[in-house]
Amino acid sequence: MVKVFNWQINREMEYPYAHTPPAKQFAAVFDINKCIACQTCTMACKNAWTAGRGQEYMLFNNVETKPYGFYPMGWDVNILRLLGPQTWRGPTYTGKTIFEAAPADRAAVGYIPENEDWANPNIGEDEALGTIDGGAYFTLPHPVWSFYLQRVCNHCTYPGCLAACPRKAIYKRPEDGIVLVDQERCRGYRECTRSCPFKKVMYNQVTRVAEKCLACYPRIEQGLQPYCTVTCIGRIRVNGWIHDPKQVDPESPVDFMVHVRKVALPLYPQFGLGVNIYYVPPIHVPPRYLTQMFGPGVERAIDTYRRAKDDPELLGALLLMGATPRWIEKFRVRDGIAMGYDARGAEIVRVPLTEPLHIRPAFDAARAVYRQNIT
Amino acid sequence: MRRWGIASVSVVALVSIALSFGGVALAQQPPQLVSYRMASIPLDPTDRAWTDVRPHPVPLMTQALALPKLTAVTVPIVWVRSINDGTNIGFQVEWMDSTRDAHATQPNQFRDAAALMFPVGEVLPNICMGTPGQMTNMWHWKADWQEDIDRGFQEIREQFPNFFKDNYPYVTGVAPFRFPADFLAPEARAYFPGLAAGNPLSRFDRVTPVEEVNAIGFGTLTHRQSQEVIGRGVWANGRWQVTFVRTLAPADAEATSLTGAETRVAFAVWDGAQQQVGARKQLSNYVTTRISPAGPPAAAAPPAPPVIGTVISWQAILIIALLIPALAGTMGWIFWWRSEHGARG
Repeated sequence: MVKVFNWQINREMEYPYAHTPPAKQFAAVFDINKCIACQTCTMACKNAWTAGRGQEYMLFNNVETKPYGFYPMGWDVNILRLLGPQTWRGPTYTGKTIFEAAPADRAAVGYIPENEDWANPNIGEDEALGTIDGGAYFTLPHPVWSFYLQRVCNHCTYPGCLAACPRKAIYKRPEDGIVLVDQERCRGYRECTRSCPFKKVMYNQVTRVAEKCLACYPRIEQGLQPYCTVTCIGRIRVNGWIHDPKQVDPESPVDFMVHVRKVALPLYPQFGLGVNIYYVPPIHVPPRYLTQMFGPGVERAIDTYRRAKDDPELLGALLLMGATPRWIEKFRVRDGIAMGYDARGAEIVRVPLTEPLHIRPAFDAARAVYRQNIT
Repeated sequence: MRRWGIASVSVVALVSIALSFGGVALAQQPPQLVSYRMASIPLDPTDRAWTDVRPHPVPLMTQALALPKLTAVTVPIVWVRSINDGTNIGFQVEWMDSTRDAHATQPNQFRDAAALMFPVGEVLPNICMGTPGQMTNMWHWKADWQEDIDRGFQEIREQFPNFFKDNYPYVTGVAPFRFPADFLAPEARAYFPGLAAGNPLSRFDRVTPVEEVNAIGFGTLTHRQSQEVIGRGVWANGRWQVTFVRTLAPADAEATSLTGAETRVAFAVWDGAQQQVGARKQLSNYVTTRISPAGPPAAAAPPAPPVIGTVISWQAILIIALLIPALAGTMGWIFWWRSEHGARG
């Protein structure tokens, strides 16, 4: 074990390998507030990557209803229980990471789910926290709530799967930080499944080796965003490069939302993985629940998000989500327009901060018909 | 009453002494494993050619050096036999395992397995799969590969007979599909990533349950281009018997040549029910094996390894040998006390 610095827990922690940062790091921001759990992302991913024999139960992308949805069953409550008390002092995590809590015989604390745990990917769908009493009314946060959590591999800076693989069959691509399982080298030991707290490394039932989300790297190599991002009808996702807090690029949409406005937060930072998928927390959910899930920045993030209408840059970054299939290297907001640029600096998308208002007469003289009011 | 007390002490003491000697006899292993010359080397582990040979006990320990470690031994001993026919050599490894774990299809399912490890070259490599410059050659038998060979490639339908899916990319035929026949178009094969990448674990067409590999330390296991080991494993009555057969003189230098008079070999066993896989294994130290041009001694036909639920280790016998006199003493004292005090009471 060596000491590495993990900015998400604001301290050094133990990890089996020294930190060797990739040239760039794949990342994404998901705005939970906009998700309707239509599962279009799930099906796009399924059709692209896990349509084969032996992959039937595998969903590299899934959307589950919190607090009662899980895929696999109980993944988060199980690892939180194994991890023990998780305490923060201000921005610093004072509990143990999955590596620090590891028993002597393993690299990380974890478990392998039961076979049946994978069998109900949509369990708990739309179940709210409790029942709604007569006379109840909405406040913020909602007294009775649920929300949708979109989950893919986090392509961690310090992956649990990579740490646990005794064969080094899992690697982080030096060019973009995407975490992959070498399909030729893997021998199906499933130490990765055991040690990934998100249970996003899965075992192919026919090839008998492990597979995982590959961040649609063939698309990224062509300057495109992954399928789950571009098919999202709620336009809740954007991909981009994330940098270390000391080297922030405020023109990267991900860096801007994570580091500059701090409106997007890591999922379970206390695991110590340095996750690279960030979430805009849902504003209607009590911060106490969200804090155990996204760390101590929740209340500030919600406050910033609620004031986005007065923050053109943040509004611009949020509106660029789902606005283009292309990979947005940089963005700028000028004169009420958010613009995205590719790696060569060419403009690839342009979104107005306020949609123009068109008022059309009820009668269309050209076609001699009355228009329906379809807003 | 006093006589009963003395008698019970005597009987129990005699039994304990007999057992102790039995334990000593059991612990008195032959000095080395000998590979005896036979006319042929049958793959069937129950063949007379194998049962005529005295098994050599080899104790196993946990792999406790590299992560992930095995914390407790569940297979404390293997019994090994070896025979050769002057051209090929066979090893048979036998161990107690109450569960037959011959599938690795489900996400939390692990197979039983056994392996032999030989040094490549003159220097004896580190027992931990060797080190750079000191290569090892391993023969790894897998219960799921054996099942694939005995019953056809095992996949989802064997585990979930009512399983149904209506379509797959580029599949031929109609649902329910024949596996693997309907999945062999080049485009369809691309949907088996391990197979498409050439991973030997992902092949549907197994020809041997034994994989031959090389290693130069933990995490370096490499499938050999040349696969020369055949074998067969049979589970019955809580016991695996696995046969490995290979030529004495392999074609290339990274497979251990066994043409000399002696070799070293180490053994490892995995218990799938305990999720033992990869580095989570029990292994032996190197065992010196004499490769003999002569057959087994005529009187050597031995009993099979003792079985009382599991193999009795010498430690267990020692414990029994100590416990029985203690029990006998206690019983004797009770009888004495009752004969002295009970009559008055």
